[in-house]
Amino acid sequence: MMESTNIFDKKFQKLIDETVKVIQLEKNDTDFKIERPHFHAVKEETEKLSCSYCKVKFDDLIQQREHYKLDWHRYNLKQSLVSKQPISEEEFFEKNDRDGVSSISGSDSEKEDTIDTLATAQGKIFLQNDSKTVFSLYRCLILEKKEEITEKNIHYRLKETCINNTQWCILMLGGGHFAGAIFQNNAPILHKTFHCYTVRAGQGGSQSSRDGRSNSQPKSAGASLRRYNEQALIQHVKGIVEVWSEEIKKCSLISYRASGPYNRAVLFGGNAPLLDRADPRLRTIPFSTRRATYTEVQRVYNVLTSIQIYESLDEAQLHFGKQKTPETDPKKARAKSACINRAKSRERVDRPLPVEELSDSSDCEDLNDSTYEIVEETVDFKELLEGLEDTRVFAKKSKKKKPKKSKAKKLREKTELYKKKILDVLFQGNLVILKEKLEEYLHKDQNEDNEEKPSPEQLKNDFFNEILDDSGNSLLHVAALNEHEEIMEYLLQNGADPCRKNKNQHTAYTCTQSKEIRDVLRKFARDNPEKYNYNKAQIPINTLTEDEIADKKRNQRKLKREKEKEKKKENEVKKKEQHEKDRFLQLSDREKRALAAERRILNQSGVVISRCFLCASDMSGKVPFEYLGNRFCSIDCLKAHRLQSPLVLS
Amino acid sequence: MALRVQFENNNEIGVFSKLTNAYCLVGIGGSENFYSAFEGELAENIPVVHASLAGCRIIGRMCVGNKNGLLVPSSTFDTELQHIRNALPDSVKVQRVEERLSALGNVIACNDYVALVHPDLDRETEEIIADTLKVEVFRQTIASNVLVGSYCVLSNQGGLVHPNTSIVDQEELSSLLQVPLVAGTINRGSEVVAAGLVVNDWCAFAGMDTTSTELTVVESVFRLNEAVPSNITSAMRASLIESMS
Repeated sequence: MMESTNIFDKKFQKLIDETVKVIQLEKNDTDFKIERPHFHAVKEETEKLSCSYCKVKFDDLIQQREHYKLDWHRYNLKQSLVSKQPISEEEFFEKNDRDGVSSISGSDSEKEDTIDTLATAQGKIFLQNDSKTVFSLYRCLILEKKEEITEKNIHYRLKETCINNTQWCILMLGGGHFAGAIFQNNAPILHKTFHCYTVRAGQGGSQSSRDGRSNSQPKSAGASLRRYNEQALIQHVKGIVEVWSEEIKKCSLISYRASGPYNRAVLFGGNAPLLDRADPRLRTIPFSTRRATYTEVQRVYNVLTSIQIYESLDEAQLHFGKQKTPETDPKKARAKSACINRAKSRERVDRPLPVEELSDSSDCEDLNDSTYEIVEETVDFKELLEGLEDTRVFAKKSKKKKPKKSKAKKLREKTELYKKKILDVLFQGNLVILKEKLEEYLHKDQNEDNEEKPSPEQLKNDFFNEILDDSGNSLLHVAALNEHEEIMEYLLQNGADPCRKNKNQHTAYTCTQSKEIRDVLRKFARDNPEKYNYNKAQIPINTLTEDEIADKKRNQRKLKREKEKEKKKENEVKKKEQHEKDRFLQLSDREKRALAAERRILNQSGVVISRCFLCASDMSGKVPFEYLGNRFCSIDCLKAHRLQSPLVLS
Repeated sequence: MALRVQFENNNEIGVFSKLTNAYCLVGIGGSENFYSAFEGELAENIPVVHASLAGCRIIGRMCVGNKNGLLVPSSTFDTELQHIRNALPDSVKVQRVEERLSALGNVIACNDYVALVHPDLDRETEEIIADTLKVEVFRQTIASNVLVGSYCVLSNQGGLVHPNTSIVDQEELSSLLQVPLVAGTINRGSEVVAAGLVVNDWCAFAGMDTTSTELTVVESVFRLNEAVPSNITSAMRASLIESMS
């Protein structure tokens, strides 16, 4: 199982030893290279008519040429490019029938993203020690930006930053905000934040770049205020860092966020820069951060120090691969949401009321106090309504109210728990448990709700269209994201609505990249064409199924084969004709004449081909040119013949 | 006859020119030296056309052709296409190809009868090649390299391939193409032979760096020195005397 711990945890420190090494999640299988044997084998006889890629020999050139046009040859060519063994023709056809020719026909598709590229994009690396435990942490903790990974320095660095010296410094600078803190062993020992007015919100962005230009320097009061504050910011930061300089010297790691040339100039510019650019402890923060505040610095520290420990490599692959949900891809999601079509009416987002938020967020001890206050208020209101009849009643009432409120809270907690359970079930993809949950849900509501009994249909519908998490994913979304086809089918059959969108405006169909899941949705759409508006669900209905595509391909192949057969036949006929011609041309003049005569005799009984005396082309049906008793197809032939054998007159 | 030329101090002349038996294309904007080398050698027999493709001068890598036709990438402008059509003989079909691998010169190597193509080339493109250039198309690699157009130069007389091509592969290829092949380099050891050499049936141009050994190999494999005057007094002597007497 995966577990997250802190980098300074004893448990993690035990894991670090000499044997720690960097691993890749995929492509770890040892590349077996197969040399094409003919490089070594000294062949005595020269086999020219062969294909060394497919390991076949040919009898003649035509066979060879035909072979080089086959898909099979092309497949083996590609195999040899990735140093794999070629496959035999039978194997190829088997494979072809099994999964179509998609892999070999047409241009190759782009290389897909692997888990490893995802990991690099997130700035993480995976390490493994001798006991096969895999753990992932931010790369910047041990390596500089462009540093090469070597086994030796990893162990050394890990020890240095995580065990020997646990003092880290985090500095964040941006938009006139500064936040810095020095932590030791999870506890901040120094911290400071402040804000200067350097970004003129109304004017848009920081304007310091305009000051450089001599002619268009802004002269307004706001601009001079801003200029003053920019100076102040630099002074402040300088002051703080100088005061902290002793502590900073002791740090094993300095992470900073200073975006833009201006912010960087604060830290690294000037005659005596605050930080040395060449400092090996210096790292940028490898993920996006919000405004520089103390809480944000704490968050950054927590994220940086957290590590994930997996029991084995497979475990790591599984967990890290699962993270490919829309949430882990904030850039993409933001890009999507940035272009809202304002012409369209948007879906309303359920925002919790402020009161709910209050009780929701305070889960700890002070919750009791706040509920108390709320109770008092309500009582006040009741009091007004009912008048001052009896104080006792009021006391009673207030007592009565209290448990009811907590009941509501309980209910909410219960639903939270229930949602979490459902989510777990969906993650695992266990259909049986999901069915059990449904039964539970139906029965529970029957027991409790006495006042208004919704019909079981309604209940079922509610169950299947419930929104499970903060990003508005319904059951269908979660099932789609986790790629459980069975669950998808079950959900769809039981009235889960595929048109439902989550907060990123994704329907179940668009939120997943998985082909299988999309197939399930498409199939459902085709089977129940009237049930939902599939345009809204963004499910294409008119596409072909796989079977149909396969059918089409098969037909095409058949057609091609037939065509080839026809061509062959044609070729044969042509060959025959050519052969006949050749034979005729080889005859001596006398024999030609004899043949013609014979033909003429035969002609009286049936149809016979007459040939040109010179070029032997078929001229039945044409008017022949006669010369000295010989027949020719054209004047040219006749002339040629006459020139060949000039008439001797004397 | 093989010549050494240079395109603006650059030896990769195969990048800036395309030579076939029916026409020669040269990239615009080169020095007059470059053009006059081509024109002096070829202008009597075939047109030498100054052209660009998609605004680029690297026409040798962008297009592919033989005496029957010329294929240009889809990025070619209409005006450029029109100019090329006007300048080439009518017997040469010029066609644009929609292909993802748009540097056609790098992925296709051909003479007037056969063509070797990149294994990943589109089926439709393959058909267009067969129809327009009137060649037989084979998907092949050269020395485990898919860019057959870059690592192989073909004419109807012979071919020069990447120096790492194994003997077995050479034999296979030459039986397939029906021309003798030799593995060699150009431009003082460059293995990208197509970038340093353009060739047709009677003439070849190589980069200025090409050593005389390399040039000799080129002349012998492409049979460029068989029509030289010395032949008249040696090989053709007997038949000439017989016919004159």
